[in-house]
Amino acid sequence: MSAVWAVAMKDLLILVRDRFGLFWVAVFPLLMALFFGSIFGSSGSGARGLRIGFIGTGDSTSVAKFRAALDKADAVTLDDMPLDSARSLVARGKKTAFVHFIDTASGGMGFFGPGKPAIEIGIDPARKTEAGYLEGLVNQAYFSLVADQMARPNDMRSMIQEQLGQLDSTTIESDPERERVGRLLENLDVFLASVDTAQAQGDSTGMGAQSPFAQPNIKVEQITVAQAAPKSSWEITFPQSLQWALIGVAAAFAVGLVVERRNGTLLRLRLAPISRFQILAGKGLACFIAAVSASALLLGIGILVFGVRVTSWPGLLLSVACAAYCFVGLMMFISVLGRTEQAVAGAGWAILLVMSMTGGGMVPLFMMPSWMFKLGSISAVKWSVLAMEGAIWRGFSPADMMLPLGVLVGIGTAGLAVGTFILARSD
Amino acid sequence: MIQATDLRKRYGPVQALDGVSFSVAPGEVYGLLGPNGAGKTTCLSLMVGALGVDSGSVHIGDRGDPRIPAVRRGIGYAPQALALYDDLTGQENANFFGRLYGLAGSTLRERTGAVLELVGLTDRRADRVSAYSGGMKRRLNLACALVHDPPVLLLDEPTVGVDPQSRNLIFDRIESLKRDGRTVIYTTHYMEEAQRLCDRIAIVDHGRMLAEGDLESLLAAHGGRSVVRAVYETAPPADLNLPGLVENGELRFESDQPLADVARLVDSGHRFRTLRIDRPDLETVFLNLTGRTLRDT
Repeated sequence: MSAVWAVAMKDLLILVRDRFGLFWVAVFPLLMALFFGSIFGSSGSGARGLRIGFIGTGDSTSVAKFRAALDKADAVTLDDMPLDSARSLVARGKKTAFVHFIDTASGGMGFFGPGKPAIEIGIDPARKTEAGYLEGLVNQAYFSLVADQMARPNDMRSMIQEQLGQLDSTTIESDPERERVGRLLENLDVFLASVDTAQAQGDSTGMGAQSPFAQPNIKVEQITVAQAAPKSSWEITFPQSLQWALIGVAAAFAVGLVVERRNGTLLRLRLAPISRFQILAGKGLACFIAAVSASALLLGIGILVFGVRVTSWPGLLLSVACAAYCFVGLMMFISVLGRTEQAVAGAGWAILLVMSMTGGGMVPLFMMPSWMFKLGSISAVKWSVLAMEGAIWRGFSPADMMLPLGVLVGIGTAGLAVGTFILARSD
Repeated sequence: MIQATDLRKRYGPVQALDGVSFSVAPGEVYGLLGPNGAGKTTCLSLMVGALGVDSGSVHIGDRGDPRIPAVRRGIGYAPQALALYDDLTGQENANFFGRLYGLAGSTLRERTGAVLELVGLTDRRADRVSAYSGGMKRRLNLACALVHDPPVLLLDEPTVGVDPQSRNLIFDRIESLKRDGRTVIYTTHYMEEAQRLCDRIAIVDHGRMLAEGDLESLLAAHGGRSVVRAVYETAPPADLNLPGLVENGELRFESDQPLADVARLVDSGHRFRTLRIDRPDLETVFLNLTGRTLRDT
C-alpha cells in the first residue's frame, strides 16, 4: 500500500506543480460555471419575451389607456414607432410583431355601434404560437378597458347619450339595424340609470362590488409545482461545469502516463519491486483524488458563494465518488490510445469533448431536444450531470440514483479493464 | 553472483542478441563494450527483467530470476534515458524511488542524503530537476539507482552526453562503489571508460560477444603489435639489422617489445629527435575483431 500511496502522491505533486494543467482542472471549470451561470441567470430575470412595435392612431386618451393595459403584461415589451417602421422591423425579424390601435371616435371609446376602435396585428405567419399568445393579450387589454368603463355607470351613460346623438350621422345604412342599435343603447341607458340609483343608495364610490359590470374578483393563489426545479441557474451550471474539471483531470493524467512511458520513468517503476497493479492503482488513486478534490472545490464555491442547495448530501457524495471513478477508467482507456503525448491528447480531448457536447457539459440537459438527450446516454458526462443534479435539485430518491451511479461505475470499470489490458500487452 | 547463459532476443527481423553468455563475480566491474546498436542495452534489459528472453537464462544472486521482487530489490538500475521527474526536486526524486524499494522514515532520509552527497548534488537537492544541467541529471540518475543500497548495479551508458567534470565525478564514484564491493555491469561505447573502470570487458557487436577477458589478455589476443615511430636527429647510421623502413628520416616498425627494441637501437648508435610508441588498445582490438572502429559505427 505504501508503494501505491507513493506513486499517487508523486503524481499529485507533479499535477500541482504544473500550473497549466492546474488551470484546466480547477480554474477553467469555475470560469465556465460563472460564465454560463451569468448567462442563464440574466435570461431568466431581466429579458422580456415578445418585443412589440406599438402604433396608436386617433384619440390619444384611449390610445394611452389601451397601451397601458397591454403593457401590463410581463410577456411583452412595447416600443412606440410609426407604422412603416414597425412593418419593416417585423419583416426583418427585429420585432416579433406590431400592434396598431386605431380609435377615430372622439370623446371616449365607443364599444357599441359606430366608432368602436380597430386593432391591427402584424406578425409572421410562421409565428403561430406567438400570434395566438399576442392576440390573447390584446383581447385581454381591450376588454379590461370595456370592463373598466362599464364599472362606471355615469360615464357610460354619457357615452351612450353621445352615441345616440351620433346615430343619425353614422354610416349604418339599414334602418332596421340603426333601429336595433338605437333600441339597445336606450335600454342600456335605462338599465344604467337604475344601477346608478341603486349604487348611490348603497355605495358612495360609484364602483362598488354591487355593480353588475364590475370585474370579477379574481384571486390568484400561488402553488409551487410539485415537479423539482433548480432554485437558480448556478444549480445547473456548477454540476455542468464540474464535468470540465473531471475531463481536465482525466486528460492530464492520461497524457501523464504517456509522458512516463516516453521518459523511461514508467520502466523504472516497473523495475522496482512492486507489481504492475500497484503502479496502476497508484496512478488511478492520484487521478481519483484529483477528481474528487476538483469537484469538492467547485461544489464548495457553488454552495458557499453562489447558494447552490443540496437536497441529498449522501447522494452528492456518491455522485462525486462514482463520477471520479468513471473518469479514472476513462483516463486509463485514453492513455493507451496512442504512443505519443500528441496522439493521446488529441484522441482524449476529441472523445471527452464529444462526451461533453452530447452529455450536457455544454448545453444543459433540460434544454436538449429529446433526440440529443437520448444520444447522450452513451456519454459518461450525461450520467454524471444527472447524478449530481439528482442530488442537488432534481430530488432523486435512492432508487432514482441507482441508474446514473450504476452506469458511471460500469463505464469506469470497462475503461479500467480495457486500458489495463492494452497497457499490459503493449509492455 | 551474476550468470547470463546463451541469451537470445529478437525484435522482428533483427536479432538483437544472439547467444551471449558471461558471468560476473561478486565485487567485479564487468564492461560491455560495443558501438550503438550492438545489443548492450537489450542485454541489460534482460538482466534486469525489463524484457523477457527468447531463450537463455539470467541468474542474479542466490534467488536467480530478476523478475522476482526480492531479486529486484537487490538491483540498482540506471537506464540510459534520464528516467527522472523534471517537476520534482532532486531530493523528491531520490525519496520517491527510495519509497518504491520500501525505505521510509530516518532510513530514507539518511540514504537520500548519502546518495546525493555521493554524486555531488547536496547543494542542489531542493532545485527542480528541470533546472539541472545534463551532467547533474546523469548524476541524479545514478543516485536514484543507488538510493536503496543495492549490491548489484546495472549502469547503461551512465556518462552519455555529460561534461568532463561530471564524467570524472561519475568515474570516481563508480571506483568507490567498486572498492565497497559492489558488483557492477557497465555498458559503454567509450573504450577509455572500459579500460579505466572494468576488471573484465566483453566486446559486443551485432548481438554477439566477440571477445571477453581482462584488458591485458584482450590486448594480447586481439590487439596486435605496438607501432614505433622514431625521427632521426641526424642521418641514420648504416645498419643492416633495422627492424623497419626509414622514410624521410623516420623509422617505423612494429614490435611485441617496443621499449627493448628502441633501447637496442640507441645502444647501437641511433639518435632520435622524437620517439612515439603506439601500444594497442581496445579500439585496436575492436578494429581487429570487426574490421571497423568503434567511432565508425
